[in-house]
Amino acid sequence: MAQPPIPQTRPPQLRRAVTPWGSFSWGYSDVGADIFIGLGLVLAAAAGASNVAFLFAGIVYVCIGLAYTELAAAYPFAGGGPYFVLRGLGDVFGFIAGWAVLLDFTIDITIFAWSCIDYSSQLLPMLVGSAHPWVHFLAVLGLIVALCFLNVMGVRESTAFNGIVAGIDVLSETAILCFGFLFAFRPELLIHTMQASWPSPYHLMLGTSLAIISFVGLESISQAAQETYRPASVIPRTSVALILTILIFALAYSNLALGMQPWHPILDAHGHHLQFWQIFPHDQDNQGKAVALLAAQVPYWGALASLYVPVLGAILLLISSNSGVFGSSRIAYSMSRADLLPSIFQRIHARFRTPAVSIFAFCGLAAVTLMFAALPSLFPRAMSLYVRLFHGESGLDFLADLYAFGAATSYSFVFVALIALRLVDPFSPRKFKIPVNWPVRFRGENTGIPIIGIFGFIGIFSILVFTLMTHPIGRIAGPAWLALGFILYLIYRRHRGLPLFRSQKHDWQRHQMEILRTSGDLELLDQYTANLKAAAERKKAGA
Amino acid sequence: MTLIGALAALVVAISIGTTFWWMLHPPDSFVERRAKEAVSELERMVGSIIVVFTPEIASGHMMALAAKLARGERSDLLALYVIEMPYTLPPDAEMPTEERAALDELGAAETIAKSNGISIRTEILKARSTKQAVLDIAKRERANLLIVGDHREGRYVGAPLSRTIEEIAADAKCDVLIGVEGKHGTILIGEPPPGAEASDQVRER
Repeated sequence: MAQPPIPQTRPPQLRRAVTPWGSFSWGYSDVGADIFIGLGLVLAAAAGASNVAFLFAGIVYVCIGLAYTELAAAYPFAGGGPYFVLRGLGDVFGFIAGWAVLLDFTIDITIFAWSCIDYSSQLLPMLVGSAHPWVHFLAVLGLIVALCFLNVMGVRESTAFNGIVAGIDVLSETAILCFGFLFAFRPELLIHTMQASWPSPYHLMLGTSLAIISFVGLESISQAAQETYRPASVIPRTSVALILTILIFALAYSNLALGMQPWHPILDAHGHHLQFWQIFPHDQDNQGKAVALLAAQVPYWGALASLYVPVLGAILLLISSNSGVFGSSRIAYSMSRADLLPSIFQRIHARFRTPAVSIFAFCGLAAVTLMFAALPSLFPRAMSLYVRLFHGESGLDFLADLYAFGAATSYSFVFVALIALRLVDPFSPRKFKIPVNWPVRFRGENTGIPIIGIFGFIGIFSILVFTLMTHPIGRIAGPAWLALGFILYLIYRRHRGLPLFRSQKHDWQRHQMEILRTSGDLELLDQYTANLKAAAERKKAGA
Repeated sequence: MTLIGALAALVVAISIGTTFWWMLHPPDSFVERRAKEAVSELERMVGSIIVVFTPEIASGHMMALAAKLARGERSDLLALYVIEMPYTLPPDAEMPTEERAALDELGAAETIAKSNGISIRTEILKARSTKQAVLDIAKRERANLLIVGDHREGRYVGAPLSRTIEEIAADAKCDVLIGVEGKHGTILIGEPPPGAEASDQVRER
């Protein structure tokens, strides 16, 4: 018998080299930066109930995190949320979820670049937005353009660099919180603030919908799943650790901020003493750099922290902004490969081998959103238009609106996909399964509906409703973005002769076997094959 | 400082620390358990290593491997050269040519060990039976691993394991690693890749 020819080259594939710490830092570099933006915005909106807003958003976030953990461990494939929705709900919903995530990543580029400059302004006063709006605008725009060209040239921050920054930041934030609670926290002040400054229901909803942006970015771990070593074992741990770390930080910061006795007295224009949280309402400059301001008010450690926290925050925010550039181009590329977006998004730069068209397209969109956000500060006459259309929201609020809308929409779809995948694919081994399930029988197979998933969906959907009710920009621009995308999707599918409202045929079983074969957890492949075989035998016996 | 503040600080520090410890210690998979077993087995195997040379057994290439192994595992390394004495001569008769060859081999072995930063002991032994001498030394040294090269008596005729090597491998109480050179490195070099011939033929047609 003739020997079959041996291939002379191996097909290119993503190398599984990301360790548990690498996986954590990959997620942390994205979601860890959110508190640097979210804290100031939530304190400004929800005042004495900021900790409650963070708690509600945190509970929803835990549910989201558990859903992502189960899905990323079961389907360790690059693509994250849109991929899960594509598998669970088909092409149309896969597109909508992916398009919402693209909005999030595009805003991610702008909002983090904006906040990076805000943190830098703590040490470089010429960058303060209210005093020098044009300098601030040009600095943010320059950062976006620089990140765009760096990504086109294929220069990325390394996982090792991410790991070092994440490690330093976790230690630093823990130190700030420990020193803060030890030397500046007054429980009676916290209770007084919560009683005296409890917000209206409208502002509590606003604060809650803004608090969710402090938890956006967990999907970075699932996007790196294909490069993670033994993803089924490692991802549950890194995801849960990330969920807990961010939740602890968010709850601790909000409680500390409300009950903090500042190290140095804070005075208003009339010389009256202010509580720490009172410096945020109506001051966008302070909202953009809340953690640096809090760190500077921590006794003893604050002397050092006031020098390095702005730098550390700026670096972390820059990494997050870069992950927006990288993530949006990567998602557009994978959506294009799945025939959800035109093939132009797959076009690779001849010299640098990067998806240059996607990078330019989404950085261009980020620059456009920056212009909309900065317009009233650059041209004060435009403010009247913003007052009429958007209740006067601009700057960081403008970006946060869209960010919250994109996150709430895509997370809502992920919960539905989680439940759908439990029903249509009970065969894939789930090394991590969300606890508390309602046993059901579907198409002859025993499975379970995740109760926490249902609660999570209700929670995130209510945050989506809060966002639509309280954010004029999110209410107008968010749905407009989805509608525009859906029209483009229909035109593209019609042009390609693909089904408009139905899905193309996908061989998910073969695809799943290939994923598990390369994942390093070969027991899961055995289990999956055995599950399929047993199901086929049951079907045969039934027939 | 308040009691509640101190407790909150303690809770933050402990919960962050515990979370990270738990995250960085995921359970081993089946293949990882297998790999760990193999590594611990190797540690047991290479506590004391003897590299065997004789005029007929060429172990020079294995000496380099033994040195790297010994360095990694901090093993005790002995290079042993056995000169087999014919029964026609007294057991301690002088054999200048063989002894000179032994000094060359062991000198090279010491150089390899030195370049790898490890210490080595060398020994030349005259014996009636190579196999018995090697097994006796292995017993004396409580060796965990014997390393032998391939058989090269005169012209290489394609049988890399002589009776001596087979007997050592059969009777040794410890592990034996035999290194056979792949036809002196000629394998695959210069051979056309599979399928190239066929495509050439198609082109010729």
